[in-house]
Amino acid sequence: MWRNSDEQIYYKNFINKYNFIFVLFIILFILLSIRLFFLQIIKGKQYVIISERQRIFSRYEHAPRGIIYSADNVVLAENKFTYAILFYTQQNQNKLINKLNDFLENEINLYSTNNIFTKFTYNLSMAEVLKILERKANPNNFMVLKEAHRIYHNPKAISHIIGYISEIKRNELQLGYNNIGDYVGRGGIEQSYNDYLKGTNGQLQIEVNAKGLQTKVFKYIPPTIGADVYSTIDISLQKVAYNALKQSSTGRGAVVVLDIKTGAIKVLVSSPGFNINKMSTNQFNKYCLDKSAPFFNRAIQGIYSPGSIFKIITLIAAMEALNINKSDIIHCPGYFKLGNRHYLCWYKSGHGKVNLIDAIALSCNVYFYQLGVQLSINTLIKYAKMFFINSKTGIDLPNEKRGFIPTPTWKYNKLHTSWFQGDTAIFAVGQGALGVTVLQMAYIMSGIANNGIFYQPYSVDRIIHNGKIIYKHIKKYKQIDLSRTTLQLIQKALFEVVEHGTGIKCKLNSVKIAGKTGTAQNSRGKPHAWFVSYAPVNNPEIAIAVIVENGGSGGTNAVPISKQIYKSYFKLK
Amino acid sequence: MINKTLYKLDWKFFIPLIVLIGIGLISVYSACTKYETVKYFVTQLISCLLGSLACFFLSKCHYQMYKKFSVLIYIISLLLLCSVLIFGTLKRGTKGWLNLGLISLQPVEIAKIMFILAISAFFDKNWKQANHIYFLIISLMLLSGHVMLIMLQPDFSSTLSYFPIMMILFFVIGVKCFYLLCIVLLVVITIGIPLLKTFTLMYVEHFNKNTLLTNVLTFCQNINVRLVTALIIFILLLIIWWVLHKLKIKFSISYPIILGCTFILGNILAIPVDNSLKNYQKKRFIVFLNPKIDSKGFGYNIIQSKIAIGSGQFVGKGLRRGTQTQLGFLPEQHTDFIFSLIGEEGGWIMAQCTIIFYLIFIWRILLIAKESKDLYGSLVAIGFATMFMFYAVINIGMTMGLMPVTGMPLLLISYGGSSMVSSLCAVGILRSIYSQSHDYY
Repeated sequence: MWRNSDEQIYYKNFINKYNFIFVLFIILFILLSIRLFFLQIIKGKQYVIISERQRIFSRYEHAPRGIIYSADNVVLAENKFTYAILFYTQQNQNKLINKLNDFLENEINLYSTNNIFTKFTYNLSMAEVLKILERKANPNNFMVLKEAHRIYHNPKAISHIIGYISEIKRNELQLGYNNIGDYVGRGGIEQSYNDYLKGTNGQLQIEVNAKGLQTKVFKYIPPTIGADVYSTIDISLQKVAYNALKQSSTGRGAVVVLDIKTGAIKVLVSSPGFNINKMSTNQFNKYCLDKSAPFFNRAIQGIYSPGSIFKIITLIAAMEALNINKSDIIHCPGYFKLGNRHYLCWYKSGHGKVNLIDAIALSCNVYFYQLGVQLSINTLIKYAKMFFINSKTGIDLPNEKRGFIPTPTWKYNKLHTSWFQGDTAIFAVGQGALGVTVLQMAYIMSGIANNGIFYQPYSVDRIIHNGKIIYKHIKKYKQIDLSRTTLQLIQKALFEVVEHGTGIKCKLNSVKIAGKTGTAQNSRGKPHAWFVSYAPVNNPEIAIAVIVENGGSGGTNAVPISKQIYKSYFKLK
Repeated sequence: MINKTLYKLDWKFFIPLIVLIGIGLISVYSACTKYETVKYFVTQLISCLLGSLACFFLSKCHYQMYKKFSVLIYIISLLLLCSVLIFGTLKRGTKGWLNLGLISLQPVEIAKIMFILAISAFFDKNWKQANHIYFLIISLMLLSGHVMLIMLQPDFSSTLSYFPIMMILFFVIGVKCFYLLCIVLLVVITIGIPLLKTFTLMYVEHFNKNTLLTNVLTFCQNINVRLVTALIIFILLLIIWWVLHKLKIKFSISYPIILGCTFILGNILAIPVDNSLKNYQKKRFIVFLNPKIDSKGFGYNIIQSKIAIGSGQFVGKGLRRGTQTQLGFLPEQHTDFIFSLIGEEGGWIMAQCTIIFYLIFIWRILLIAKESKDLYGSLVAIGFATMFMFYAVINIGMTMGLMPVTGMPLLLISYGGSSMVSSLCAVGILRSIYSQSHDYY
């Protein structure tokens, strides 16, 4: 209450304004309180998450992948450890790099950079890292990262069976299963057995302050290496096969060598191979554009017309269904007349009188044209299916293709014409739309050599982790019913092919070999050269299928490759 | 004797004061790292004690003395501000500190108190002429003496703190609300235009897109467009006046004319203001509208402060356990952003308590104004109440992203010797006003 009487009159007015000011102040404070309530109580949880995110820094340490061994315990794929340094990102980075380069006497580069960290170079050795650690008087804080790199020995020869690794793609990410930046196997054993090979990533969780410096370590779980994979590959044989293919007429082709008694893949080569040690994006694109298609696995993905090697199945069909035997003789004038068309034999002047052994040894087309026509298409298809041409062998490698058997319905759907007897004749000698893979042919040969027992091919025998066997291959087989005489006859006939016939170039003095050559006509230039075989005849051990793409005659191109493999396998000079 | 003094103390006034200072001391202690404890906490403690001494001394002085020597006080305050321009040291681009060997002083804080004392005396003397335009002009000139000198430092935010104090005092003394409206409008236009311009540029630059609003704002950046708009408003106001006049609602033609002139003058004044303000000042000031447009620069403080307060939730993270503050994500945590620290480490409970205690404190000051035995005492008390109020609102609002980032401390809580001592001086003066009103001779 103002005591000056002059001001008294004004006091009432003042009180009104005073009340107004007081209310204004209260409203302002209420607004602040509402905002405070909104931030802390309503939105509090979100802000907690944000504050945790900027203080906790988690990183995964990628686990090194498991080691892959060959059948005789030679290392095929292993890890090399290099070190990278992580610096906290700062203004004068170039100066820092120069300083480091000065005392390392090396040329290291900035690898990547983000808000918090700058990564320098991958390829530091342990010695260099120790050198840097010694000098940690350096005020700049940094971390050392150990990183595993995949190293393959004989990369080109084993490229298709082993496969390669590359960084995980966005659509392959699964929460809790893999992390960004993981490496994933692509193709071959690396892909099929990725789960065993990949190991468990390590985890590092630290608290960082505003400058990005580490203040605390919350948890550290070191990475564990993946399991060791023992494959069935015979690396010396693999090398021989790859080099032989490489030196063949076109350098393109595939070889599969199967262990007849188990189904183990001893050799699986597709040429040309690619260098799986250097799979940069650049290199990858280069391979993609290469006309010889190095990424194409010719051994299990390439579907080729079988040509004369299909005659084995035609002959078995004839022996089983028509009961023909050695004494049945057919005259070959050099052509086969069906209606008003002539189907030629490869030997134009004709083979004269041939029985079934001569027919297969000399690969007489006319003999098989006749058999085909007599057998009819349905019987032929039945026998082709019996030898699993339209199914996969079930090998433990990714992206295996199955062969193809043309049928009258298929032809009608595709070309809207009916099936002619001529088509049957062509089918009987393995031409036309018929297609098989190299692996399938080796599989069929192993079945014939094994008296009708087909062991499922496999490439990994066992997987060992921490001294314990965590995976062991179990042999699986399929059996087909063939009469004893048929088997004996076909085995004798195939032996004659190498002894006196088209496969004579593979003849070895100490080992008896049975096989069949093939020269498959195709739309892409020269015919493919085929040779399928097994040895030794009396007690078969291995079956080989060889194809040289556009190589020409099977007898002169594919057969010598097999010979080199046999020589190496049986340790002959 | 002591009992008598204690009895005479207004406990409802002193308890919130002591609580606020206590919260401040704990927060400053929490804000400093191991090695800075001495530097900040002890300084704050010493300035508290010094301030209490000053408070005690001033409460014993008769406040009528300030009225008597008001001219002298005003001149001394001007001299203080001049001296800082001459002898001051540069800190963060501002020449606002007087270095006196052991201690460094921020004269603006003291000058503000002196200004309130002086202007109240002027108002007290001339309150009968309050409706006169000359009264308004002379008081604005008195204000501009201070404002100009502070702008020369340049300390943009301190000058702003004069504005609400002046407005409230004008309102209390009985200046026509219409004039006050014009002044507010003038200031809003003059400062708002350059700031909005900066904001539009930053917005478009950061988000790489134009919205309807930014298009309009970009269009309005041309001074001619703005002047034409102002003229149109002017003419519209005249037409409205004419229509109302015809409808027999009669008031002086000077109202629409003054209002229209305000629009035009504001637009013209915006140009020198725009030129004199540095780009970073404008950015810092306006970025609160959307801190994301400059999340690594001026928006960083606001974003981090909001995270700090929000992540405190209901009970907070505990003393010295705030991750935002202890790991250094929050800048200026012991001065301008001390409220964020309270919010993070003490949670909603402590932050709300701080606000409530502040309100009680200001309510008690207003009560002193009500019970003062003369107009001068009321004016001084209301001036101080407004000062405490707006510092608190702007500072707390800033930490929560409601207000622009200015260098205003949270009085009584933030670290800072000068502001602590000057606030306690103000408390001493208020105490003197209170005790006089309760002494019946």
